[in-house]
Amino acid sequence: MTKLLVTEITRMGPAVCVIGLQRDKEKVQSIRPVPTWVNGWLHFPYQRGEVLECSLAPICGAPPHVEDRALTKNFRKSATVGESDIVTYLRKAECADSLRGLFECAVYENKKGSGVYARPTEAHRSICGCQTQNLRLELCGNELRATLVLASGELLRDLPVVDRDWLDFKDAALAVERGANLAARLERFLNSQLQYKIMSCPHHFVRIGLTRPYREVCWLMLDTLFPMPKAEWLEEF
Amino acid sequence: MTPPQLSSLAEEGFRRIVETCFRQEAGASAPFPDETTDLIETGILDSMGWVSFLRAVETASGISLGSGLNEQPSSIAAIMGALQDSMKGPSASNDPQMRMNRAVGASTAFVAASSSVLGAKLVPSEEADRAFGMPIGKLRKRAGIESLAYAAADENELTLGARAAEEALRAASCGTGELDWIIATSETHHDYPALSAQLHSRLLARENCGALDVGGACLGLLNAMVVAQSLIGSGAAQTVGVVTADVHSRVLTPRRVVGEFGGLFGDGASAFVLRRDEHGRADSGYCVGDFLFGCAGQYASAIRVAPNEGGGLDVQFDGEALSRAAITRLEKVIAVLETRSGIARGSVGGFATHQPNPRLVAVLAKQIGVSPETFPAICRTSGNLGSSMCGAALHAALQQAAKAEFSQRKPIFLASLGPGMLLGGTWLTAASSGGAAFRR
Repeated sequence: MTKLLVTEITRMGPAVCVIGLQRDKEKVQSIRPVPTWVNGWLHFPYQRGEVLECSLAPICGAPPHVEDRALTKNFRKSATVGESDIVTYLRKAECADSLRGLFECAVYENKKGSGVYARPTEAHRSICGCQTQNLRLELCGNELRATLVLASGELLRDLPVVDRDWLDFKDAALAVERGANLAARLERFLNSQLQYKIMSCPHHFVRIGLTRPYREVCWLMLDTLFPMPKAEWLEEF
Repeated sequence: MTPPQLSSLAEEGFRRIVETCFRQEAGASAPFPDETTDLIETGILDSMGWVSFLRAVETASGISLGSGLNEQPSSIAAIMGALQDSMKGPSASNDPQMRMNRAVGASTAFVAASSSVLGAKLVPSEEADRAFGMPIGKLRKRAGIESLAYAAADENELTLGARAAEEALRAASCGTGELDWIIATSETHHDYPALSAQLHSRLLARENCGALDVGGACLGLLNAMVVAQSLIGSGAAQTVGVVTADVHSRVLTPRRVVGEFGGLFGDGASAFVLRRDEHGRADSGYCVGDFLFGCAGQYASAIRVAPNEGGGLDVQFDGEALSRAAITRLEKVIAVLETRSGIARGSVGGFATHQPNPRLVAVLAKQIGVSPETFPAICRTSGNLGSSMCGAALHAALQQAAKAEFSQRKPIFLASLGPGMLLGGTWLTAASSGGAAFRR
């Protein structure tokens, strides 16, 4: 039986992808539980911070998604961990200060437009945590994007935000019942109060993930951003 | 308000940009969609492709679109609408470069004359190998550098820069008294008085001629040129002298830096006389086009140089990452110049780019699919000249162009990079034609 602390739930089309932390003696490592036949969960009634008991079996996942494990016995919730404690555990798992350190390989920029990617044959993992010097969220053509500076001073621009909680927050902010000029209001919030809320938070932390290989590349995305969004922030704009 | 004629020209330009960027993203064979089709809903692009497409249009047009397209369908019509909106008033565009280009008028400044000089001491690259304790032949075999131009004992940034400036002024039949500004850039001159002030005195410029130093290292020439163009376009200046000068051989010495880095550099200077295009004076010169600038911070750690306490230099230099970044970025700048100017890269007569080393220039030419002959061979015999590299290449390209009949002179692309992966570019077109014959 494995105890898994759910650390990220990301949107992947109609499904969600889940990653958790597993303690193995002194080591804390990321594990991605997957159903036996697909990569995502169409129904996942759990929240981040919940500790789930489950049975997992190793599978031969396509690299660099070496964290994949097949779920052989259903989840059972056993405890809940607070937001700052989740980050404490995440800091003990895979972390890097530099772009090359994220997936232990070179990272390439899209020559045509935006986005950065790693090559599946070069990347050694598909998830990594990092501290950022600065971070900005932006709504670009209705899509939530993040730009951040790593501790090394290297910059990552236009990362798609796939964190379910942040995307839910964006959707709630743009809900028609909230009135007019929704995008402009959200943008103003993202550019002002939010920046401060994120960067001044003592447990500010991000996790960057890789998409599944598509046309021989894995795009970088912002899997998780701490602090998590608060419903009361919607009252501020 | 934008005049109707200008508006229709702009629309034509915007449409070309949108189509080019769409095909880059969706593939050359992808049919161009109906204007109102939602590109995400119909699966033509996914959300990553959509944002990538928007960013490509933004870079090529110099107009920020992102927020203008929120709460709108992901369609070509929405993009065209946002681009058109940016033309409605001077404050409508939120892109500083676009505002700058529009305010100064992209063709108000022209390059009347140019010059380039190299350090007088030409040494075989094997001598640099030896001095830096590298295997003999390394610079030649690995980087393609055959020789390096080093400043002679009586040469420095001031003497090289002044010589280049005097030659350019002479070529333009322009007296020093006509200069309204001297704009200097150097990545090796860190003394006071600043280089522009010293040049001002040395050239005997008028007391009310301004003197300004700009930074940017290897991007310095483009930084200096955009300032010159802005001064001319705003009416603050009629004639501006732009001077670059670098003497690496006294800064990047074997005692201070490793040879894989320091051995690549040589010494030189370049100068340009930029003038306002009026009374048909531009007939023999090259008009300066729009500028694009940016900073690709993901490569920030590829090169870092900082003084240490012992008087040496701490150099962090990831050659492989830097090479890859330089090629990718120069390629991207050239693609944007092509899209924005409407001038196909195949029609360009000369690429005056930064030349980190000859090998990379050859790779770049191959990557962008043009003849290596269109890149003036400067670095091979003189080494990397820093902020003077682009200037030396531009001067050579202008000299080459001058051999052709004026109406046959092809456009020139300028593209360069600086530490921190600063990037910039512009294009020059033979003044009277405006490059019309070479546009797509």
